[in-house]
Amino acid sequence: MPVRLSDRIGYYGAWASGLFLTSVVFGIVAWLLVNGLRNIDWAFLTTNPAPGSIEIGVAGGIVAPLIGTLIITAMGTAIALPLGLMTAVFLGEHGKPKWLKQGTDTAIDLIFGVPSIVFALFGLAIFSSPSMVFLSSEVQTSGMATAKSYFCAALMMALIALPPIVRSTQAAISQVPNVQREAAYALGKTRFATIRKVVFPSIKPGIATGTILGMGRIAGDTAIVWILLGGAVLEPPQPGWYEPQNFLDFLHGTGSTLTTYVYFASPAGEGNAEGKAYGAALVLFALVFIVNIALGRLGQRKIGRQ
Amino acid sequence: MDSNDNTPPVDAAYEKAQAQEWRHALDATSDHRAAGIASDPTEIAVVAEPVLAGVGAAAVAVTADLDAPPPPRQHIADPRDLAIAIRGLRVSYGSSEILHGVDLDAPRGGVLALVGPSGCGKTTLLRSLNRLTELAPTAKIDGKVLLDSDDIYGPKVDLNLLRRRVGMVFQQPNPFPMSIFDNVAFAIREQAHRRPTRTSLMPQVEHALERAGLWHEVKDDLNRSALSMSGGQQQRLCIARTLAADPEVLLMDEPCSALDPRSTARIEELIVQLAGSLTVVIVTHNLAQARRIADYAAFLLNGDLIEQGPAEQIFETPREQSTRDFVAGIFG
Repeated sequence: MPVRLSDRIGYYGAWASGLFLTSVVFGIVAWLLVNGLRNIDWAFLTTNPAPGSIEIGVAGGIVAPLIGTLIITAMGTAIALPLGLMTAVFLGEHGKPKWLKQGTDTAIDLIFGVPSIVFALFGLAIFSSPSMVFLSSEVQTSGMATAKSYFCAALMMALIALPPIVRSTQAAISQVPNVQREAAYALGKTRFATIRKVVFPSIKPGIATGTILGMGRIAGDTAIVWILLGGAVLEPPQPGWYEPQNFLDFLHGTGSTLTTYVYFASPAGEGNAEGKAYGAALVLFALVFIVNIALGRLGQRKIGRQ
Repeated sequence: MDSNDNTPPVDAAYEKAQAQEWRHALDATSDHRAAGIASDPTEIAVVAEPVLAGVGAAAVAVTADLDAPPPPRQHIADPRDLAIAIRGLRVSYGSSEILHGVDLDAPRGGVLALVGPSGCGKTTLLRSLNRLTELAPTAKIDGKVLLDSDDIYGPKVDLNLLRRRVGMVFQQPNPFPMSIFDNVAFAIREQAHRRPTRTSLMPQVEHALERAGLWHEVKDDLNRSALSMSGGQQQRLCIARTLAADPEVLLMDEPCSALDPRSTARIEELIVQLAGSLTVVIVTHNLAQARRIADYAAFLLNGDLIEQGPAEQIFETPREQSTRDFVAGIFG
C-alpha cells in the first residue's frame, strides 16, 4: 500500500478508473442482452424486414440486413487487407523514397481521423459520374450512376478499414528483430523472400489484430451504408439473389446492413420499433465479438511446436 | 587436407615429421600456384602479392620450436592461396569513416581472427565481406574485396549468390521463427516456384546439421520450434543453416559472446573442424579464444589495420607496439 498521499490518490484513481470503465462496458452489454434477447426469436433471425403498421413502421426479421453486413464486411476486408499489408510492408520495410513514406503516413492518419460520412459523400460524388456506372446502375433519366451498390460501399469501406490494418501490421513489422532479416540476407535471400518467410510469420498476430479492428469499423459504419448502399431496409433482395447468375446483379444493387437497420428501427428512424433495434444491435454485437475471438485465435497460432 | 584428422601432435618427433610433411606439401602447392599465376598476368597484380610475406617459412619455423604454442593447424594448403584479399577498403557511415583503407589477406582454408578494441571497425570489416554493410542506408564503401580474385563490389556481382558463397553467423543466435528443419531447409530452397519436397531436402539438411554437430541432438525432433532450443544449440543451428548453403567462406561475428563456456567450447571445436573445408574469418573480443582457434590474426585499431600474420606471431611476438599492448591486456 503506497504511503504518500499523492501516491495513494494516484493508486486509487487508477483503480477507480479501471472499475468505472469495466462497469460501464459491462453495463452496456447487460442492458443490450436484456433488451435484445427479449426481442430475438427464430422468426426474427429467419425472415426479411417488412413494412408494418402506421405507428410501427417495420415488421418481420433481419435476414437481409444481416446478410448485408456479412457481405459488405467480407468485400471491404478483401480489398483492404492486401492493400493494407502492402502499404505496411512499404512503410515498415522499405520506406523509400522518404517523401512517399511521409505522404503515406499522413494519408493513413488522415483516413483514421476523418469521419466516414465525409468519404461517403466523396464516394457519392465520384461513383455517380457516368463513367462509374459499372459499379452501380444507371439512372435512366439523367445517364448518371446511382452510386448505391455493394461495390460502391465496399470500396469506401476498404478505405476506412485500411488505417487499423496498416498501423497494426506496421507495428508488428517493427518488432521483428533486425538480426533475423540480416540472417536471411546473409543466406542470399531476396528482400521478398525475407519478408514472406521470415517477417510474415512473426507478424501474423499483428495482421489479425488489424483485420479485426478493420472489420469492426466496416461492420459498425452507418454513414457509408446509408449513402452508398442505400437505406433500403424494407426492400428484401430478389429471391434467388445468391445464385451465381444473379449474384453480380445483387452486388450492383442497393441493400442494407444491421447498422442501418438499427437506425431505421430505432425511435429516431422511420421504423419506430425499439425492440427490433435492440435485437439487431445485439446480433451485430455478437457477430463482431465472435469474429474478434476467432481471428485472435488464428493470429496466435504458433509456428512449429514450442 | 581432411579436417577430421587434425589431432594435436603429441611428441616432438611426430611434430617434426608433421612440419616436414607440411613443408613439402606447401612447396608443391605453391609451385603449382605460381605456374597458374604466370599464365594470367592480370591476376598477378591483385592476387600474387600476399600481404603476409614469408608466412610459410615463419609458420614452419615455429612448428619446429618445442617451446612454442601448438603449430598452425594443417588447414592451409598454401598460405599464398587467398580465399579473400582485401585491398584499400574504406567504409564510412555518413560523414564518419570507420575503415581507412585496409589491406588484409585470408588464406584459403584457414581461420583468420580479427581482433581489436571495441569500435575499431572489425565488425564493419567482416560485414563488408558479404556486402551486409550496405544494408545501412548511409554506408559508403570504397576499395576492393577479392573473392577468388573477383571483386565482390564489381558491377556484375549477383548479390544473392555472393552471400551464399560467403555465409555469416551473427553475434546473437538468430534462428528464424520456424521449425529446426525449416531453418536449415530455408537456406537450401531456391526462390523457385516449384518447392522441393521435404524428403528431397532431408539429405542436405541432415548433412548440414551433421557438420554443425547438431544432428544427434535434434534428429528425432526436427519439427520442434528452433526458438525452444538452448542458446548454444541455436547458435549451432545458425551455423548449420549457413553451411547448408555450402559457402566457401564463413564469417563469424563474435559467435560465442552470448554463450556459456561449455557451448563456447563446442563452437570453437566446430570452427577448428570446419576450417580446411572452408575459410573462416572470425571477429572476437576474446583473445584467449583467438589464440585457441586462429591460424592467422589481424589487429585493427581505430579503423586501421595495424598488423597481420600467423596467429603465433601476432600473439607472441608482435611487431607493433600497439599490438603488443593490446595483446598484453594494457587496453582493450
